[in-house]
Amino acid sequence: MSAAPRGPQAAGPPDGSAATDLAAVLAIARKDLLQEARSRAVTVATLFFSAVTLVMMAFAMGQDAELLRRSAPGVLWVALAFAGVITAAQSFQSDLEEGAFDQLLLYPVPRASVFLGKLLANWLYLAVLGLIMTPVTLVLYGAHAGSDLWLLPVTLVLGTFGFAVVATFYAALTANLQAREALLPVLMFPVVVPVLLGAVRSSEALVGLQNAALAGGWLQLLAGFDLVYFVTCTAIFHLVVEE
Amino acid sequence: MSATPADIAGERPAPEPRGAASARASEAAPAIELSGISKRFGREMVLRELRLEMAAGRVAVLKGSNGAGKTTLLRLLATRLRPTRGRARVFGYDLQRQGDEVRRRVALVSVLGGNYPVLTARENLKLAATLSGLAGYDLGAALAGVGLEPVADTLVRTFSSGMKKRLGLARLLLLDPPLWLMDEPYAALDEAGKNLLDDVLAAARSRGRTVLMASHELERSARFADAVLELAGGSLRRSES
Repeated sequence: MSAAPRGPQAAGPPDGSAATDLAAVLAIARKDLLQEARSRAVTVATLFFSAVTLVMMAFAMGQDAELLRRSAPGVLWVALAFAGVITAAQSFQSDLEEGAFDQLLLYPVPRASVFLGKLLANWLYLAVLGLIMTPVTLVLYGAHAGSDLWLLPVTLVLGTFGFAVVATFYAALTANLQAREALLPVLMFPVVVPVLLGAVRSSEALVGLQNAALAGGWLQLLAGFDLVYFVTCTAIFHLVVEE
Repeated sequence: MSATPADIAGERPAPEPRGAASARASEAAPAIELSGISKRFGREMVLRELRLEMAAGRVAVLKGSNGAGKTTLLRLLATRLRPTRGRARVFGYDLQRQGDEVRRRVALVSVLGGNYPVLTARENLKLAATLSGLAGYDLGAALAGVGLEPVADTLVRTFSSGMKKRLGLARLLLLDPPLWLMDEPYAALDEAGKNLLDDVLAAARSRGRTVLMASHELERSARFADAVLELAGGSLRRSES
């Protein structure tokens, strides 16, 4: 290795302008997704956990086709919720290993951009997982979405977004705690109940009852809670990362 | 415990302000200004009423036993910790109220390295450059400057501690802010790495960068220093040794 320094920065010093907020958000999200694509730590855990949940619940409910069909939305969101906890916790855990999260907070970007970058990565991951699991669940549980099938992806997108907002926020809050694995679900699930309720009810209206109007009402509630959580968590994120 | 002023103000020129917006606060302001800074963790008061004024362009070494609060002070100056009491400014910007402005002028080389193990050396630096708003940077030059160009596209998790330290140094060279905060920069480096760091510090000093480094390698680091400061019992004083 060369020991000769080339001198500080051939390209000259920075001009003092920070990265744009959007560039920072995208860079952080891309970094998180790239890390996951390489390590596959979350992918293996969440796929395995989700598959076990779907199969075990199906076995537990036995041969009752009506019971299976009606329980499909709930089982889907149970699997997604626990996968979401793993995803959010791991997204901070990998950053903490060598002080990288500390370093991330030393760059001249707003704390909100850090939150939004992490959120974007977690949401994309959860949404894709949901889109993969939904057809598997429908087939395994013998359920049908009827003519308003397009509302199911909307439910998934809104439901996973609200869940990712709360999970990312609480994962940051508990990241430095010793009992973080236990505390994260304990703290976040009471808060995320409205999101899960809206998502499960909307999915149920579409899959079980095939009632698009009812699903629309739940989706409005879901979107409302998403908005409230998104604005609140983004606004106060700086409080949870400053010591 | 009362504060002990440690004034190492000197005649070195101030670094160029970085951007028009920075000019007002940066102009002629001390690089570091601590007024009664205290930091408490739980019941333990780690820093007590610190007072320090350090002129821009000076190099200071911070010494003290393990747990004396050196890292706490550096992290506080880098805006990662909030002071329990007191007021601190970097180039005239308040640490608590103008954190983003402070972060544009500060870089911290930490003991842990601050690298992402599952990214390559080049990707780590690119992320740093993007988040710092750099344009027209040369990652290859920064990596070559610390001898890491041959492993630029290797995942950092395969690096030794010394190589990770060099990568942290490459990030510092790439960002090249007016204030360098370094926490045990010689630790984990081999002799070639230490010589490299010597050259980097000499170059930084000659270009008017302000450097505050915590180090146990006093003999080595003091060669570049205008002052040696000692943290003991939570208080700061200028060391004669």
